[in-house]
Order: sequence, then C-alpha cells, then structure tokens
Amino acid sequence: MLKTINQRVSIILLLLAIGYLYLSYQLPSFAYTNVDADVLPKALGWLLAVLSIALFFSKDSETEEQKARRDIPRKDLGMIAIVFLLILGYIFLFEFLGFILVTLLFIFFSSLILGYKNYITNGIVSVLFPVILYFAFTEFLQINLPQGILPF
Amino acid sequence: MGSIEGIITGFQTAFSLQGILFVSIGVLVGTIIGMLPGLGPITAIAVMIPVTFGMDPSSALIMMAGVYYGAVFGGSTSSILLNAPGISGTVATAFDGYPMAQRGEAGKALAIAAIASFVGGTVSVFLLMALAPALSSVAVSFGPPAYFALMFMGLTAISSLSEGSTLKALISAVVGFMVATIGIDGQSGTPRFTFGNSNLMEGLDFLVIALGLFALAEVTTLIINRKDSSMSKNKELGSLRLSKNDLNEMKGPVTRQSFLGFIIGVLPGAGATIASFISYIMEKRLAKNPEEFGKGSIKGLAAPESSNNAATSGAFVPLLSLGIPGSGTTAVMLGAFLVLGIQPGPLLMTDRPEIFWGIIASMYIGNIFLLILNLPLIPYFAKILQIPRPLLISLVIMFSMIGVYSISFNTFDLYMLLLFGVVGFLMRLFAFPAPPFILAFILGGMMEQSFRQSLTISNGDLMIFINDPIALSLIIVALLTFVFPIIKQIRAKKR
Repeated sequence: MLKTINQRVSIILLLLAIGYLYLSYQLPSFAYTNVDADVLPKALGWLLAVLSIALFFSKDSETEEQKARRDIPRKDLGMIAIVFLLILGYIFLFEFLGFILVTLLFIFFSSLILGYKNYITNGIVSVLFPVILYFAFTEFLQINLPQGILPF
Repeated sequence: MGSIEGIITGFQTAFSLQGILFVSIGVLVGTIIGMLPGLGPITAIAVMIPVTFGMDPSSALIMMAGVYYGAVFGGSTSSILLNAPGISGTVATAFDGYPMAQRGEAGKALAIAAIASFVGGTVSVFLLMALAPALSSVAVSFGPPAYFALMFMGLTAISSLSEGSTLKALISAVVGFMVATIGIDGQSGTPRFTFGNSNLMEGLDFLVIALGLFALAEVTTLIINRKDSSMSKNKELGSLRLSKNDLNEMKGPVTRQSFLGFIIGVLPGAGATIASFISYIMEKRLAKNPEEFGKGSIKGLAAPESSNNAATSGAFVPLLSLGIPGSGTTAVMLGAFLVLGIQPGPLLMTDRPEIFWGIIASMYIGNIFLLILNLPLIPYFAKILQIPRPLLISLVIMFSMIGVYSISFNTFDLYMLLLFGVVGFLMRLFAFPAPPFILAFILGGMMEQSFRQSLTISNGDLMIFINDPIALSLIIVALLTFVFPIIKQIRAKKR
C-alpha cells in the first residue's frame, strides 16, 4: 500500500493536518466579528489535508540526486544522533553550568568526537571562543549570558 | 519621488565614519560566512542579529544589508576553489569557475568573479535608487486587500519557483504558515495552539525557525561530508591579473546580466539562485562558442556572478518600498528590521530617510569594500576555507545557540531550535524546500492581519479582493504562477 516515500510522508502530513484541524475546531469563536481567530487555522488545516492527499496520489517525480541524498551511511546517521544528544545535553546544562563552561565542554568534545585530532588547537579554541564571546556580550552588547557556577 | 533632502541625509549617514565602519564590518562578516560551504546569507543574517541589539538602527541595518550582499559575494570563492558552492546563488559560478581553477587559473577566476560581482552590485544599486522610491510612492495608496494579494502572490511565486516539486513547496509554505499561527492572536487575544504553555504565548521567534531550518540543518550536511579533504587542499592560486582580452570578453555578459539579475531580484519568489541560472543559460545561448561553457569559459563565469549580485540589490526593492520580502533571505532580513523596531514599507522613505537612503547609499561603499576584499586580499581570505570541519561544525552550532538565547533568554527556545533543526534535516531528506517555509512563517501574521482587515472593511464580503483592481490583478498573477509548472509537467510527460 505505502510503496513510495511520498506516500509515507503524505500520511504523516495528513495526520498533522487532522491534529491541527481538531485543535482549530476547539478555538472559541465570537459572534460579533467578521473573521475570528479560528477561520484561518481551519482553512490552513483543510489546505494541508488536501495537499497531502494530492501528494499521496502524485507520481513520484524524485530525481536520482534526491534519492541519493537520503542514502546516508549508518555511521554518519549515528554521528548526527550523537551530536543531537550533545546539543540536548548542552541545553540541559546551559543555565546550571553557565555559558563559558558548558560551551567550552561542547566545542572540545563535539570537535573531538567528530574526528578532530589536534588537541592543542581544539583546546585553545574551546577556551578562547566562549571567554571572548561571554565578555563581548556582557560588556559591549549588554546581553547577559548565564554565569552558572563560575564566579565571574 | 524621494526628496533630495532625504537622499542627502541617507548619503550623510552612509558616508559618516560610523556608517563606513559598520558597512565594512558587515561585508567582511558576510564574505567569511558566505565563503564557508553551505552557510548562506540566511545563516549569516540570523547569526548577526544579536550583535545589533542596542545599536543605532541605521548603522545596524547598514551592517545587516552588508552581511547579506557580502555573503552572496563571498559564496563564489568556495564555488571556484572547492567546487562546493558557499551559497545556492553561486552554484552556477562553479560550472566554469571550478574548471578554470583546475587549469591552474584560480586567481584569474576569482578576479573575474570579483569584478563581475562588483559591476552587478553597483549597477543594481543605481537601479534600486531609481525604482524603490517610485514603488514606495505607488504603494502608499495600497489598502489591506492589495497587501494581502501581494503577499499571497509572493508565497505562490516562491512555491512554484522552488527547486523540485511545487506540491512539496506548497506544503512547506502551508506548514510554515501553521507554525506562525502559534501564540496569542493579535486581533482577538485568543491563544492558539499554545497547549497552555506560557512560552508559546508570544509565538515562536523567527530566529528559532531561521537558525533551525537553515544553520542546524546545514550542520547535518557538514557532518556527513566532514571528511571531505578538499577543504585543506592548499592549491596555488596563480596570478590575479586579467588581460585586456579577458576584460573584453566579460563586457557583454556583465552588462546584460547586471540588468537581468536586478529585474529577477525585484520579482517575488525569484532571487540570486534563479537569476544566476537564467543568466548562465542565456549567455550560453548567445555565445558564439557555447561548447566552451562548462570547461572554464570566462563568459560562463562572469554571467552568473554579475547576475546573482544584481539580484541581491534587486530584492531590496520590494523589501524597502513595500515592506514585503519576496524570498526566504529577505524574509529573515525583514525580521532583522523588526527586531530593531523598524517597519519597512511605503512610509519608510519619508519617515526614516536616513535608514531608507542610508542602506541604499551604503551599498556603493559596501561594493567597493568587497572588491578590495576579494581582489588583492583573496589569497589570505581563502585560508579560512582550511578551518577543520569538526571545529567549524561545533562553532556553527554554538553561534546558533547564542543567537537564539540572546533574543529570548530562555532555554525553552533552545529546545525549539533543536526541534526545528530536526525538522529542517527531515525536510532536506525528503526534498521539501525550506525557503517557502520561512517566508510563510514571517508573512503569516501580516497576511492574516491584512486578510481580516479587508473583511472588516467589507463587512465579511470576499468580493473586496475582486473589486480592488490591484488585488485582483495580483491574485490572477499568483494563480498564473501555477500554470507554468503544470505546463512543464505536461511537456516532460510528452518526451
């Protein structure tokens, strides 16, 4: 049934449209306005539903190049997943550890894991980058970045 | 037409010490980010937005405009040296630029690209100066129906002109519009799709979407290609000097394509990328020896380079005079305006001449700086391409995080950024173009507002869009843009 990639994607989009429409119909509507807050969302939801059905029945016109783009080696996908988790950890610790420390750790370890073998340059960059940016932001731009557990 | 006083104010702003300083910072940063493969003007503008906080709006916007056209200018360097286009607008540059570099004439190719870009950029600033005020004075009389129709046309144009399937581009635009509806409705105060989460009340910030869909999604491509050794190849550039013959050969394509690029840039939906391809194809058809194209032809390199830079200034026409962006990049540029509290549009020219004319006037200086950066200094700049990819990836992620955090001071938005990074990655995987998404997201609020204003004026009668002659003609054009892809499909089937 779901032979092509487009068909599988269109089912997900259709579910998205249905979920969005369900929420749109829950929006309150008042009698005295010409166009209330619910009109446009409803229209968008129906439009997406129609378009995803059209995608389901459309001929798969993917070029070879587009197919090749999806052909990612398992190893690289794993690497993307690792970087994703690193970012998640970064955000989680961002306010607790503070900008300088967490950024330092992120740059060093993510570059290392991605295969950067020059420890000295890596170390220098991962210290200088957050320190310079921290002071540039807090002193010159007056934008406060989280200080965290460091005393400055 | 614009008053002489306004023009003078603008030139004074641009040619002040501060103006010159910020335009040079802008084009420098733009060139560097544009040069890095994959990182384009959208990322460059989005990353620079936090820097503009607290700056005087005219200096800030002069700088941001510089970042934009600087990125388009810089994109050609990696196209020529690495065959890895820095931005999509310089893909066509690699067709003839890279073969030339392989012949050992990289220096010559860079010089041709720099001169062609400079001419394209400068010619189009002249045209921008003439056209933007004229359009502003016409647009003052536009009512909400015309504005709605104009934005509608922008969205349909970008969808039908996107690479790949028009259907997917439309879906991308609709979903972008849906994301824009998250938050408190500006007119009735009803919270929509917030799931009771107070962080979603004000809606998602455009930086979250721009950096997620473009910068973070690009990171995934960088991760996949991280072992590409071409980055570190240390090739000799060769002489930068051009002979009289070379210059003569450039003359024709550069002149023609500067004008064509500008016109394409003004039109909604099309931009530097489409302009560069059309120019390349046109010059190939006009050339006496088209078989040289693709093998290092001077004409084939000069044409897309003057055209993409001309299109960049052209894109400022609708942005400055109508307040309506026609492409993904100018949509993010509009975001940069709004962050600073400046609403571009027909009133900008009269209300804030120092900004309207300041940006335009600064482009003359910016293009001269770019020529200096890209001609004598290019061998030094090209070294930036040797930055190790793992380090580059880490730094791009960090810049995206800082950019979002400094606008919201909230880790919730960082999680959203990561989420849209994943969305951007999936969109790439399944060939859904991202520019319609960001354009629809940024236009969404404005479109809904003008739609509802129109219907309030007409007391709910949809005929207002048909009775307004400007709105009607724009809607007809918008619908016509869909006819082209259908004709294209039918033609393809016949073959």
